[in-house]
Amino acid sequence: MKRYLIRRILQVIPVLLIISFIVFSLVFLAGNPVALMLPEDASQEQVEALTESLGLNEPFYVQYGMFLGNAVQGDFGQSYRYNQDAMSIVLERLPQTLELAAVSMLFATIIAVPLGIWSASKQNSFVDVFATGASVLGKAMPNFWLGIMLILLFSVNLSLFPVSGRGSFMHIVLPAITLGTAIAAEMTRLIRSNMLEVMQQDYVRTAQSKGQKDSVVTYRHAFKNCLIPVVTIMALQTSSLIGGALVTEVVFAWPGMGQLLVQAVNARDMAIVQACVFVIAIAVIAMNLVADIVYRLIDPRIKYD
Amino acid sequence: MKQEQPLLDVRHLKTYFHTENGTVPSVEGVSFQINKGEVVAIVGESGCGKSVTSYSIMGLVKSPGKIEAGEVLLDGTDLTTLSKRQMRKLRGNDMSMIFQEPLTSLNPLFTVGFQISEVIVLHQDVTKKEARQKTIEMIEKVGIPNAEKIYSNFPHQLSGGMRQRIMIAIALACNPKLLIADEPTTALDVSIQAQILDLMKKLRKELETSILIITHDLGVVAEMVDRVVVMYAGKVVEEGTVYELFRDPKHPYTKGLLESTPKIHERKDELYSIKGTVPTPANMPKGCSFSPRCAFAGDKCREQQPELVQVNSGQKVSCWLHEEGEVSLHEQKQTAAT
Repeated sequence: MKRYLIRRILQVIPVLLIISFIVFSLVFLAGNPVALMLPEDASQEQVEALTESLGLNEPFYVQYGMFLGNAVQGDFGQSYRYNQDAMSIVLERLPQTLELAAVSMLFATIIAVPLGIWSASKQNSFVDVFATGASVLGKAMPNFWLGIMLILLFSVNLSLFPVSGRGSFMHIVLPAITLGTAIAAEMTRLIRSNMLEVMQQDYVRTAQSKGQKDSVVTYRHAFKNCLIPVVTIMALQTSSLIGGALVTEVVFAWPGMGQLLVQAVNARDMAIVQACVFVIAIAVIAMNLVADIVYRLIDPRIKYD
Repeated sequence: MKQEQPLLDVRHLKTYFHTENGTVPSVEGVSFQINKGEVVAIVGESGCGKSVTSYSIMGLVKSPGKIEAGEVLLDGTDLTTLSKRQMRKLRGNDMSMIFQEPLTSLNPLFTVGFQISEVIVLHQDVTKKEARQKTIEMIEKVGIPNAEKIYSNFPHQLSGGMRQRIMIAIALACNPKLLIADEPTTALDVSIQAQILDLMKKLRKELETSILIITHDLGVVAEMVDRVVVMYAGKVVEEGTVYELFRDPKHPYTKGLLESTPKIHERKDELYSIKGTVPTPANMPKGCSFSPRCAFAGDKCREQQPELVQVNSGQKVSCWLHEEGEVSLHEQKQTAAT
């Protein structure tokens, strides 16, 4: 296991190199940074001076080398909007995003696990049909629309939850439901179909023939056997929540990385965009690694050495 | 001699499957008994209802299957009237089951030790330590060396034969009165088959467990069975002691089954086989269900269903060809009554 971990962490290096190259190229995709940073009426001398100081006269690979050297030290340059180190701004926002991702996943799991298992154990019953319908609906609703509807109903009309922002636990409820609904829908379907398959397995019949209770047969013997795909989906969804809760964070004015990224893109604050993309990439890699380790803990047949 | 109450008494058991395409009568009025310490085999082709019969006894028939009628008496208690909870208390404790596929019958995510001790903890009032001790004893009892080490192994680390031994350990851990073995050796190599049968014979003597073996392997039957129940299309067509049945099979189907077993002292280019296939429930013939495949079938066979009747002290058969036997039985009864 230890050797596997070391190998996996070493494998991350080439991935990070490729990501760093893409992140670096972003600057060029967004147009000349000098033109962005200087006022429109800047003189030719000023433009040249800034170009020189940013090292933009150097060949592409030299610039990339410089970028890489800085990036290794966590330096993605200054945000011109905040006039601060870009990475430290991003890292300030990261905990809020992680918090929202964690609560959303928790919400999705609490809904999806019992509902998926329940609808599988009562296949074609009312519960099953209801769960299927609810899943399709949950998956079909776009985040921004669901978010706005939740605000209208629970904040504006019923005054149960705050409209936006971050503070008490009440603040996180609506954005977490908004993000968690689609994930819960997908997980419910996945758990249902996996449980239907696993419940037909011979070892489930063995557990029943021991005289074990239905609930123990279902959770201990069957559900544990469909955890691998569930963990996969959870890891994928968590990493996309860390990187992609853009719309929801904006709708609820949640001060996370997603909102920062949207603002940075709008303002062409490229240092922030680069730092964000880099952090998100690392989060995705980390979630995949966590999933691989969890697989091993669940299923002794999975060997990494 | 006073007739002892049989351990298991299955009476007119009917198990039907209610599918979208109609009702499938899988078990159609099956009756047989197993006495204490006896080994009984149910033999028959695939799809004749022998496995469903065993699941019906265990109460493990899955929806859309349902026991429609009949009684399953275990030590005098009718299992079909028990609640789910009462059935759970019996399952794994008073009666237990081993399955055809040892490779898939154990849960891949738990150690074999856990899977054996699970049933002990469930039915016996023991501490964790005692359960572990009992589990290790059971692993030793089923002939696996290094029991301590095997305890914490996962199923995928063991061979098929070893896994079937573990299944036997699970089934016998609570010293059940009845063990149902659904084709316990079908999935195993021939040499391993013999070992597993030997083990079952040995443990049967040690633990005084009655065994119901579901099989289509007449070799297994000859090896360890006292009495045989032959099933065809959901019904019992013949029943007798293993000696009588092999020596003098009465039903044409039983004769066909015995014929189609290769024998070592005969050289044949082509093996005998019973022509045709088991009828599907949708086109079940009107009279005897075997009549379309039977070389001796007459008009009566195609019209009326024969009953299972006693033809001699230990043999019952359901066939019009033994009508005379039936008549003489009636006469016997009448003389006994007067």
